[in-house]
Amino acid sequence: MKGSYDIVVSNAKVRYAFTIRRNITIVKGDSATGKTTLVEMIREHYESGAGSGIELNCAKTCRVLAGRDWHILLREMHDSIIFIDEDNEFLPTDEFAGAVRGSDNYYVIVTREGLPNLPYSIEEIYGIRESGKYASIQRVYHEFYHIYGNTRTGKTVCPEKVIVEDSNSGYEFFKGISTTKAHTVISADGKSNIFAEIMKSQEQNILVIADGAAFGAEMDRVMKLTGRRKGIILYLPESFEWLILRSGIVAERNLEEVLTDPEDFIESSEYFSWERFFTKLLIAVTKDTYLRYSKRKLNEVYLHETIASKIVRQIRGIEW
Amino acid sequence: MLSIFYGDMPQAIYNPVVYFKNRYTDEWIMDEFSREMIRDVDRSEVLGPRVIDSPVLGGITPRELSGGVKTLMAIYKAPDQIFNASACGDNCAKWILKIGEKQDVTINLRHLMDFGEETFVIKILNTGQIVHNMDELLPVAGMIVR
Repeated sequence: MKGSYDIVVSNAKVRYAFTIRRNITIVKGDSATGKTTLVEMIREHYESGAGSGIELNCAKTCRVLAGRDWHILLREMHDSIIFIDEDNEFLPTDEFAGAVRGSDNYYVIVTREGLPNLPYSIEEIYGIRESGKYASIQRVYHEFYHIYGNTRTGKTVCPEKVIVEDSNSGYEFFKGISTTKAHTVISADGKSNIFAEIMKSQEQNILVIADGAAFGAEMDRVMKLTGRRKGIILYLPESFEWLILRSGIVAERNLEEVLTDPEDFIESSEYFSWERFFTKLLIAVTKDTYLRYSKRKLNEVYLHETIASKIVRQIRGIEW
Repeated sequence: MLSIFYGDMPQAIYNPVVYFKNRYTDEWIMDEFSREMIRDVDRSEVLGPRVIDSPVLGGITPRELSGGVKTLMAIYKAPDQIFNASACGDNCAKWILKIGEKQDVTINLRHLMDFGEETFVIKILNTGQIVHNMDELLPVAGMIVR
């Protein structure tokens, strides 16, 4: 499945309206905000249709996955938006993550638990905000040019230490452009190590760079840390490759359109997360050119001053 | 005292809502402490053991209470059991602390619940440490769960 889908579901007592735009959406938040009620209404409408007394408007079939036999049921579910409530023990399992990978469904998962097996985006973590009988689903984490954490709007951040999630091209790029700078650049060697790297760091001002497209499971603990310790800033673009594609150094027809509405181009059964799509796209559009990109080893042309400055210019609010 | 085991705990009851549905009694609902939790978390008023007034859903039975408040009552009324308290949102955290002040309870958490800015006493069973505020809790629990 690809594209974004508006969903409006209502009965005589409550009404939910929201939009789903990626393969994995997480709903979390306080108790008694209506998360389970939403899933229950989706289930009742699927089972009984309009006769349930529930109105549901969506271009795709919305249904619920639950229970011990989830894997048998899921085999029969295609091209649907699937809602899963938090009381399902299969959610954190490798088996479930394997089923989501390559699936042509979108998934809306109610959980407070970080699910590291699933590469979900920081932009697709929502809480339900209710106002009387009307409820909207709103983003939990708010950004300013992809920058998250304790920062004041408009103030330039000057880090002493940069922690990069990546250990390959992304890390080599930020390390390469920092050779004459005062700050140090280290690789966390994976997103799950970022919390520990921040804990180990003694510096006052720390910048974390990670792929926002798959950082969702880490976001809660890292944001809780930024809330309690001053001087931690997160820069979370979709991915390093997305940053290069946005910089204007690559000329490709339709690129602007793809970057504006990626959901219209990214097929969920083909790409587990958007970062993989952007990597594949960048490799494809730079093939046989001097900008030939490899994720494993940075093409040194990206460190050339003219090119590097165009990439870095995308990172607003941080002094390099 | 409140004890917490963070992360996967096979002996914990993963789905406290099902436990509540099959174990709750009229006394669970009419208990004054339960009524306070229902009033605060669900903004609902217990009118009787089988009728609760919800501002959104109207008249409901205990079965339609939120998963969070059902889990709180299960922790409170069945302290010999260990429940997955990640079924509770942060708006339940102060009540978990209050239950821990009343009696010895152990809960399982699979996420970083925010226990607020007040001091508390929590034993983290994974490490044996006793922590007194979120600044002490976060570095320990954050290394175990996300």
